[in-house]
Amino acid sequence: MSATPQDTKDKKTLEAMRRFSERYAQQTDTYFCVDPSVTAVVIEGLARHKDELGSPLCPCRHYEDKEAEVKNSYWNCPCVPMRERKECHCMLFITPDNEFAGEQQEIEIEEIVKVRESMGG
Amino acid sequence: MSAAVQVTDDSFKDEVLESDVPVLVDFWAPWCGPCRMVAPVVDEISQQYEGQIKVVKLNTDENPNVASQYGIRSIPTLMIFKGGERVDMVVGAVPKATLSNTIEKYLG
Repeated sequence: MSATPQDTKDKKTLEAMRRFSERYAQQTDTYFCVDPSVTAVVIEGLARHKDELGSPLCPCRHYEDKEAEVKNSYWNCPCVPMRERKECHCMLFITPDNEFAGEQQEIEIEEIVKVRESMGG
Repeated sequence: MSAAVQVTDDSFKDEVLESDVPVLVDFWAPWCGPCRMVAPVVDEISQQYEGQIKVVKLNTDENPNVASQYGIRSIPTLMIFKGGERVDMVVGAVPKATLSNTIEKYLG
C-alpha cells in the first residue's frame, strides 16, 4: 500500500520532532527517560500538535484554548521553564541527577512508531 | 491504559461527586509521558485501598469541561474528592509513598 499524503506529512513531522529532541538533549546535557515509551509518546504528542496547530505545544498540559496558547508561546517546546531552568515536567529532557534519567540522547523512529501502534492509532 | 474506571464529563457527577467513599481522580492524556509512569502507581493504589476509596481516570482531551472546571493545567494531576468536594491534589509522576500519604489523610 502506498502512503497517503497525510501519512507522509505526519511522518515528516514526527521525524523532525525526533531529530529536534535528540539535538536539544545534546545541547542542554539532558537525557531521555529510562522508559523509552515515555520519550516516544511525548515526541508523538509534540508532532501531533505541530501538525494540528503549527507549533509543538507541550502535550503534558491541559489548555482552555490551544490556539491562544500557541500564540502565547510559553508552552511551545522547548518551553520557557525548560529554556530557563531545564525543567521539563513532560520528562522528555531529564537532567542527569534525576532518578528517571536514562543514558540515551537518542531514540529510533521505530521505537516511536511501535508505541504509537500499541496505542491503537 | 489500565484497569481503573474511566469517567467522562457526563459521568463525573455520579461517579465522583456523589460517591460514598473518597475518590482519587487521575487526570491524564494519551500523549503525556509522565502519565504512563504514574498509571501503574495509580493501579497499585487502587488495589491497596480497595473498598476504602474509589480510583478513576479522566482523559482531559476527551473531557475538557471537567478538566477546565477544576483548573487542570499540568498533567498528570491526581485529585482527591471527598463528599463532593476537591480536598487535595498532587501534580506530576509522584512516587507511590507520596500518593498513599496524601490518601491516608482522608480515610475514615
